[in-house]
Formats: sequence, structure tokens, C-alpha cells
Amino acid sequence: MELKEKLIILADSAKYDASCSSSGSNRTSGKDGIGNAVSYGICHSFASDGRCISLLKILMTNSCIYDCKYCLNRRSNNVRRAIFTPEEICEVTINFYRRNYIEGLFLSSGIVKSPDYTMELMIRAVSMLRNKYHFGGYIHAKAIPGASKRLLKDLGNLVDRLSANVELPTENGLKLLAPNKSQNEVSEIMDYVKNNQSRKYVPAGQSTQMIIGATGESDLEVIQRSENMYDNYKLKRVFYSAYIPVNKDNLLPALDKPPLVRENRLYQADWLLRYYNFKVSDLLNKDNPNFNILIDPKADYALRHLDEFPKEINKCSYYELLKVPGIGVVSAKRIMSSRRNFTIKFEDLKRMGIVLKRAKYFITCDGKYFIDGKFFRKDFIEANLVLEDRIPEIKSLEQLSLFNE
Amino acid sequence: MSKVYIYDGDFLSLLKLIYYLVNNGIKPDDIKDDMYFPSLLEEVINLSFDNQDEVIKIFVNSFSKDIFKTLYYVFLSGDGRKELIIYYFCLNAFKYGKSIIYRRNLKCVSEVLRISEYVNHENHKFKGFLRFRELENKVLYAEIEPVNNILYFLTIHFMKRLKNEYFIIKDVGRGILSIYDKNKFVIVREDEFLIATDSSSEEEEKIEELWKLFYNTIGISARKNDRCRMNFMPKRYWKHMLEVRDLL
Repeated sequence: MELKEKLIILADSAKYDASCSSSGSNRTSGKDGIGNAVSYGICHSFASDGRCISLLKILMTNSCIYDCKYCLNRRSNNVRRAIFTPEEICEVTINFYRRNYIEGLFLSSGIVKSPDYTMELMIRAVSMLRNKYHFGGYIHAKAIPGASKRLLKDLGNLVDRLSANVELPTENGLKLLAPNKSQNEVSEIMDYVKNNQSRKYVPAGQSTQMIIGATGESDLEVIQRSENMYDNYKLKRVFYSAYIPVNKDNLLPALDKPPLVRENRLYQADWLLRYYNFKVSDLLNKDNPNFNILIDPKADYALRHLDEFPKEINKCSYYELLKVPGIGVVSAKRIMSSRRNFTIKFEDLKRMGIVLKRAKYFITCDGKYFIDGKFFRKDFIEANLVLEDRIPEIKSLEQLSLFNE
Repeated sequence: MSKVYIYDGDFLSLLKLIYYLVNNGIKPDDIKDDMYFPSLLEEVINLSFDNQDEVIKIFVNSFSKDIFKTLYYVFLSGDGRKELIIYYFCLNAFKYGKSIIYRRNLKCVSEVLRISEYVNHENHKFKGFLRFRELENKVLYAEIEPVNNILYFLTIHFMKRLKNEYFIIKDVGRGILSIYDKNKFVIVREDEFLIATDSSSEEEEKIEELWKLFYNTIGISARKNDRCRMNFMPKRYWKHMLEVRDLL
């Protein structure tokens, strides 16, 4: 089989993995080496679906002894199979890297013969890249559940990020759709990586991925699982992947479109947990277990806790600023450093580069609301927030109808 | 007649001029480099200064290294009013000292920060979007058309990354090239250094095809989203990116 055919098959099989970040590592290469990794990460292109391309994302092989229901490469599917040799992986990586197409390699794999055998092949490829080609760029490898600790150690010493996918948010979901995999095996990997992480071992930390919408979990169950994993395994990221039907199976839901809005809400909530000091209980509870599709989780929180608002920009604490819809970490820091030097008014905020589209409903500047204070009411704010979100949509509809006439 | 003050075109002579203007309480109508072609209604004033290296020290001590670097980023921008913006910033900076950088309610400060962030951002984008091609003699060659003059910072990035390669990056719009020889780099004007760039190495076509195949495979068609792609990767970059230039 020609190299380009292999590349098509093995990139096509890898594309459903959402992770493509290249951040968190500061690696350099030796005297004869090529490449480095920078902690802020670099996107090299964006695919037709708008997702970042940072790494050469491929499977080593799409052959697999497992039969996970949702997976294109399950044993029972009749698809073309291919396997890269270590030399081929190195050749493509180095040639792409020299031309600045990529930041490094993302290597995952179907399982051939056994987890250990598969990991050994992956280690051979990655080790060749590091030691023969002296490659100092970013490498993210997927650990194969069930492989032995010895191999986790070897692979982790070579890569920047080592991760294992939990695949589905709950153990029951996993049993149903991926009967060959077990949650324990994934937890063991995460535990091992967490306990051994250092500047030499998996310096960029670990991440994981869950498929959203293939099984019946609520958003509360999903986000609770994430919170647990962030707490227990010090994960850098949890990726959420809207379920896309590639197989027909009685156990799988029939969806017309992947649940992309839901996926987006989960990412927004995830950021709130990691950077904005929110707890899951601030966002969802048993009576209210799913995110509002119309309004983002932070605005939804603000509307449900309107008694905490409006916040006075010149007085409230950093964490209170972060609770304001439309104010992110950069804006909050900017406000904190500015107000030590002058009293911030509405017109200053604009000049400071702070977007008021959402924030204006939830703040006062030097005691003043952006319009008459009597409009600080839930129904008014809610209607306007929903409208603001729909303005681009409405505008593009107007343009369409103009063209039609 | 409006008064336009002329400097030599480099950052230090701009700072020397600004220092002179501030010290003597002169408010210029504009400041331009020596390539400037004045209109009939403008009076051009060309001052010459002795070698006053201590000016750098005065700036660094009065503000901070970070602010100094921020001003250099503004200087590299493609903004036509950049000299005047830097002048007004310095005028206020001599008054407020280091805290000037937090006074975003002043227009000169918000402009300086906005422009320097833009230059920094564009530099970051090109770290990813730049594409090298391998010439017949194995030299890597790339063409870029940035709005701002980021060639210096961009070359430093690639010098660390591809230290054992020969490479050339050409800023097409400005007609300048940076040339790296596995040891150090120089920036020259295109008429000072002629190279044939139409040849390709034996492998080049094969690798480019592989990249295009990979690019076209990795997008998920059920998630197709042109607007999102364009937000992250605006079309002005596409001309020099081989995976999307044919879509233009």
C-alpha cells in the first residue's frame, strides 16, 4: 500500500479524537536536533470543521481486536485496514515539521494482538523519532488501556502528553457500548501518570475525552465526572466530543446532527470550573440537570442569582468580576490593575478593550447602570441576552432573503 | 502650515527625536520617517542629533523594560499614525512613570496597548501559518505578507526551532528577507540578495501532496463550519498556505 493511502486511512480514523492542543511543554532539542515545544502552543491550520490543526493526528493502525459499538474501526466493520511502520511515522512527521505544517505528532492506535504489543510498537516509533531523528517537537501519545506499567513508564518518558480516553461519561455507558474496555483500566493509567508526572515524565500532563450524546447521561452527570477527574487525576483538559453516528447499531441513538450546542455548553461550563472558580453545584442540580440551550452557563447562573448583581466594577473582588457574564480572566485582570489608577466609567471600559455586549447588564460603573436602573429586571435582561446571541444569525438570514429576491 | 518632524527611520532615532520634542515642549503635528513625501501644506523639519546613546537608558529607567519592548512592537506595526501615538504615550509616560501602562482610559495608552497586542498576535499567528517549501539546494523558503513588520521576531522563533536548517523568509510586501545560515541570521533588502526560488527539491511535491491529503481528511464533514474556520484563520493568510490557497 502506498504511503498516501495509509495516511488517508489512518488520519481519517484519528479525526474523531478532539484533542489537538500542543501547549504546556517547554522542550528543546539537542545540538543535532530539530524542533522545540513552546508552553503556549501553536495552531498551524484550521480544518473545514473549524477545529485547530496543531499536530499530525494519526493512528498507528486502525486494525483492532475490540468491537466498540460507536467506533468506525471496530472489529466487525468491514473497512480497509492499514498500519504505519515506525520509519513511515518518523518520515512524515519530520517532513511536515521542517515545513512548519505541524507542531508535532499525535499518535493513537487500534489494538493489535494485545495492549502490550500495541504499546511496544508505538514506543518503537516514538523512540525512533526522539533518539534517531532527535526530534524535540511536541508529542501526544494515547496510552492503551490494559498495557503494563513498564510500558507506561517508557512511553511517558518520551512524550509531552500521555492520555487515556474514558470514552463515555459513565461506567454503564462504557459496559453497553465498549464491552472490551473497563473504567478501571483507564483510571489505572490516569493514576499512574498523575503519580509520576514531572518535568521529565509527561511534562504537559494528561487529558481525556468523552463522547457526548451516545448514551443517556445528563449534563450534570457529565460535568460531575469531569470535576472528579480534575480533582483526582490533576487532568489538564477534558475534551467533549459530540457523538457522530458512523455505525448503525440498535444500542446507539439515531441522531440527524451531532449535538454541537450541547458540546459547546459543556466546554463553557468546563472553563468555568477550571478558571472561574465555579463549582458544579453553582451550575446544575438534580432538579435542573441540563444546561440551557439558549443561554450560556455563566449568564444562566447570573440570571438565577440576580440578587448578587449588578456588581460595581470599581469595588467588587476579582472573583466577583469573574462571575460577570462577558468578563473573562484577561478583562478582570485589566479592570483590577486599572482601577488602582483611576475610577472606571462606562466609556473607559470600551477604551480598555472590554466587550460590553453581555457585561453591561450585570455591572455598574461608579454607581451608574448603563441605562435607567429600572430596567435591571430578569425578563428584560434575559430577552436581550437571547437576542444579542441571535443577531448574527438574524443578519445572515436577512442577507439570504436579500439574495433570494 | 503643519509641522512634520522627520527621523531616520529606525526606532532609536525616533526615540531621540521624541525626547528632544518632549524636553523642549514642542507639540509636533506629525512625525514621519525619512522616506516621507510631504504635501504642499506641510513644513518638514529635519533635526540631526549627536550620538546620544544615553537616551535608551533614560527611556528604560523612566518607564520599564516591558514598556520599552511594548513601544518597539508599536514601532513595528503597519499603523500610519504609530509615531505620533508613541510620542503622546511618551509625553504622558514622563509624567506618570511606570503606572502609565495601567491608564487605559488615556487614548494614547489604549492605542499603544491595542497596537502592540495586534503585532504580537500577528507574530503568533505566523508562527503557525507560515509554510516553508524546500528548494532544490535543500534550503527552506517561505513567503509571508504580514500587516506588521514581524520578520525579526518571527525569524528568532524559527532559528530556535530549525537550528540545523538553512532557511529564508521573505516579507513580500516590504521587500525584505531574513536569511539564516545555521548559526545566525541577517535581514536584507530583496535587491541586495538575489535567489532563485522557483526550483523545488525532489521530494517537495510528494510531501506537499501528503499534507493536502491530510488536511482534507482531518476535517469532519458532519461538523463543517466555514465561519468558524475563517474566524480563526482569516482569508488574508490563505494565499501562502498550500492546503487552502486553491480554495480562494
